[in-house]
Amino acid sequence: MKNMLIKIFVPVISVLCSFIIGAILITIIGGNPMEAYTYLFKGAFCTPANIGETVIKAVPLIFTGLAATFAYKCGVFNLGGEGQFVMGAVVSIWISTTLKGITGIPLIIISLTLGTIAGGIWGAIPGILKITRGLNEIIVSIMLNYVAILFMGYLYTGPLREGNVPQTASVPVKLGRIFSQSRVHYGIVIALILTLIIYYFLFYTSKGFKLRAVGLNQIASQFNGLPVKKFMLFSFIISGAIAGLGGSVELHGTQFRLMSGFGQGYGFDGVAIALIGQLNPIGTVLVAYLFAILRTGATTMQVGSGMPTSVIDIIQALVIVFAVAGSAFINLPKIRQFFSNVFSKPRKEPL
Amino acid sequence: MRELLVMKNITKKFGDIYANKDINLIIREGEVHTLLGENGAGKSTLMNILIGLYQPTSGSIYYRGKKVKIDSPSKAMKLGIGMVHQHFMLVEAMTVFENIILGVTKDSSIFIKKDRIKKDILELASKYGLNVEIDKPITEISVGEQQRVEILKALYRGAELLILDEPTAALTDIEVEGLFRVIKKLISEKKSVVFISHKMREVLEISDRITILRMGHTIKTLDKNKTNAEELAALMIGKKMVSSKYKKVSKTKENIIALEHISFNKESKHNGIKDISLTVGKGEILGIAGVDGNGQSQLAQVVTGVITPHEGNIYLYGKKVAQFDPNDFINSNISHIPEDRNKMGLIGDMSVKENLILKSIEKSKFSLKKGLFLKKKIINQYSNEMKKKYDIRCSSIDQEVRNLSGGNQQKIVLARELEMEPELLVAVHPTRGLDIGATKYVHDKIISARDKGCGVILISADFDEILKLSDRIAVMFEGQIVGIYSGDNPPIDEISLAMAGKAE
Repeated sequence: MKNMLIKIFVPVISVLCSFIIGAILITIIGGNPMEAYTYLFKGAFCTPANIGETVIKAVPLIFTGLAATFAYKCGVFNLGGEGQFVMGAVVSIWISTTLKGITGIPLIIISLTLGTIAGGIWGAIPGILKITRGLNEIIVSIMLNYVAILFMGYLYTGPLREGNVPQTASVPVKLGRIFSQSRVHYGIVIALILTLIIYYFLFYTSKGFKLRAVGLNQIASQFNGLPVKKFMLFSFIISGAIAGLGGSVELHGTQFRLMSGFGQGYGFDGVAIALIGQLNPIGTVLVAYLFAILRTGATTMQVGSGMPTSVIDIIQALVIVFAVAGSAFINLPKIRQFFSNVFSKPRKEPL
Repeated sequence: MRELLVMKNITKKFGDIYANKDINLIIREGEVHTLLGENGAGKSTLMNILIGLYQPTSGSIYYRGKKVKIDSPSKAMKLGIGMVHQHFMLVEAMTVFENIILGVTKDSSIFIKKDRIKKDILELASKYGLNVEIDKPITEISVGEQQRVEILKALYRGAELLILDEPTAALTDIEVEGLFRVIKKLISEKKSVVFISHKMREVLEISDRITILRMGHTIKTLDKNKTNAEELAALMIGKKMVSSKYKKVSKTKENIIALEHISFNKESKHNGIKDISLTVGKGEILGIAGVDGNGQSQLAQVVTGVITPHEGNIYLYGKKVAQFDPNDFINSNISHIPEDRNKMGLIGDMSVKENLILKSIEKSKFSLKKGLFLKKKIINQYSNEMKKKYDIRCSSIDQEVRNLSGGNQQKIVLARELEMEPELLVAVHPTRGLDIGATKYVHDKIISARDKGCGVILISADFDEILKLSDRIAVMFEGQIVGIYSGDNPPIDEISLAMAGKAE
C-alpha cells in the first residue's frame, strides 16, 4: 500500500513540476501559459478524431515501453527497442508484400507473428552475447539499432522500393478501425491485451516471480537455485519480441509503409516511459498515453497560441528528469525512513 | 626508545555496546607493534579512531608527547599517521604515479610539476626498497606491488606511523618476505609500524612488541622475545567455556556428504581451498573453525553447488556429483544459510512472503500448472504461519525484507531453509551481526534440525559458536583443513594454535 502510494506519487509530482516549469518558460518567451495549456489539452481531447490521434500515437509507445519494462524487470537493459521495432516492421512488410495467395486476417496474423519473432531474434543477439561472452548489453543493443535502421534504409531504397520515391509499397491488408469517426485501429486492443498478459505474467506466475527476483538480486537468485542466465536471455528475447510486435502493429495500423524516419526515437522514448511508469506495465501504458497527449496537443498549441512545439519537447524531457531524480531521491535511506514513518503506524521496535 | 604515540583509556561505544573499553596502547619510535586479537576484538575500531574515522567516546591520544584530537583522516595524515587498508584504496584506472599524488597538494602551483615529483617519489621508493613501476596503471601490477604503492603513498604524505591492516592476507610467501624487508627498513629509519595480523608465525617473526586485545579490552603488551605462540594464543582466545548446554553426539556411520581431495583456486591461500577431504554424517554438526578469509566461503559454495571445484569429487548420499548447479543441490535436500544474508540469501526489495517461498514457489502446494497459477491464499496463509512459528517481527508479510532488522531477516532465511526439511544444512556465519536473543534462537533451531537427523556444516569465525554447537571441529587455515577434533571436550589450546597456523 505504502509502496503503491510512493510509486504513484513520484510520476504525478514529476508531471506537475514539469508543467510548472513549462509555464514559467512560456511566460519568459512572452506567451500565456494558461492559454497554451488550454490549446494543448483541446488538441488532445476536444473532438473524437483528436482523441483518436492521441490513442494512435500512444500505441507504439506502449509497445516499446513494455519492452523496456520487461527487460528492466529482469535486471538487464535493453536499449535496442528501436532496432527491434524496426526489424519487426521490416519482416512484416517483406512478408505481407511478397506472400502470395493469402490475404485478409490470416495474412495479418502471419505478418504480426513473424514481426514478433524477428524482434525476438534481434533482442536475443545482445542477450546471447551478454550471457556467453559477457559483453555489455547496453552497447550491443544500441549498436544493433543502427544496423536495423540502415538495413531498413537499404530495403526501402533498394529491393523493396516502390516507384521513384524512397519508400516501400503499402501493406495489402491493414488493421481494421474500431470507430468510424477516427483512425483508431485494433492495435490499441492488442497493446492493452499484451499489457494485461505481461502484468499477469510478472505478478501472478512463478516464472514472473523468479524473473523479478533475478532482476532485484542476481547473486541471491543464483544461491537460491534460479537459472539466472536463462532468465536474462529469456527476458531479452521477450523484450525484443514485444518491440517487434509494436513495429509490426505500427506498420499495419498507422504507417502502412516503410520510409525514412520510421520508428525513430521510439526505443529511447520507451525506456523513458518505462522508468517514469515505475517499471509497472499499467504505469507504462498511462505514461505512454501522457506522452501521446503531449505530442498531439503540441501541434494545436503551436497553431492556437503561437508557442513552438519545442516547449512540449522540453516539458517531456523535464518529466523524464524529474521522474528519474524523484525515484532516486525516494530511495535515499533518509527519505525511505521518512516515508516509512509517515505511512506506517507507530509500533514497538522489534528485536 | 621514545614514545611516539600514546592512547590512554580509549573507550568507544556503539549504542550500548563497547567496541573498545579503556584501551591503553603505547607505540614507540622505530618499533613494529603488533595488535593481536580475534575477529571483533576491537582492533579495527581502535585503528579507525587513530586515523580519525571514529571519535572515541572518552580517552585521550598523545602524539609526540602532545595531546591531539584526530577528527579527520586528513588530520591524521598531517600528524604523520598513515594506514594501508586490507582492501587497497587505489583508483584502478589511474597510474601508480597518479595514485600517489592523488589529493596531495604540496605546492600552490596549478600545474603539477611532474618530473620533480616523480624524482622525489622514486628517491623515496629506492630508499625503502619499494620497487614500483611508476607509470603503469594499477590494473597491470600485482597485488604485492599495489601494496607497495599504498605504502609509498602513505610515506609520500609524510607518514611516520604506518598502520598495516592484515598486510599479508593477499600476498604470496615471497611477497611477504619482501614486505618484511620493507618493514625492517622502515623501522631502521625510525618510522613505526602497527601490524595487524592473525598469523602467529608472522607475528613472531616481525614484531618487537605485541599487544593483545580481547572483547574490546587490552589484555597485555608483551615483548616478542619474552613470549611464545602458545602463550599468545591462550591470551588471545582467553578462557573458553568448554561446557555447552547442548548435548554433543558422536558421528554416525551414514554419510550425507563426502568431499574427496577437493581443490578450488588452490594457489590462493585466502580465496581458495586445497585438497580438502571430509565427511558429514546424519545428525551431526561439523564445525569449521578458522579466521575469516581462509577459504571458508569457497568451501561453503562448493558444498552448495554454487562453484565447481577444480579438482576432487563430492559424493552426496554415496553418489558422485556430476554437475555443480545450485538447483540440483537444493533438489538433493541441501539447505544453505549463506554468509551474507542481504547479498546472497534474500531479495531485499521483495516482501517477507516472497522471500519465504523463493525456493518452493513451483511446488504443487503453492501453484498449479507449473506455476501458471499461484495459490495466493495458501501462500499468504503459509507465510503468516511462518511468521508466527519463527517469530518474524514485521508489520505484515508484505513488508519489504530490507526494512527488517538483521535478526528478523535471518529468521526468514532460517524459515525458508529449515521448512524444506533438509538432510544437509550448510550454515555460514549464521549469527553474524545478531543480538543475544536472536543468536540463541538460531542456535536452538540448528540443534533441533540436527536432532531430527539433519547433517550440519557450520562455518563460523566465532570460535565460541563453534565450540558451543559442533559435534566435531575441523580447523581451516590457508585453504586447508589442518586438524579435526572432537567437539566433546575439545582441546581448545591446540585448536586455537591451529587457527593461527601453527599445527605442528
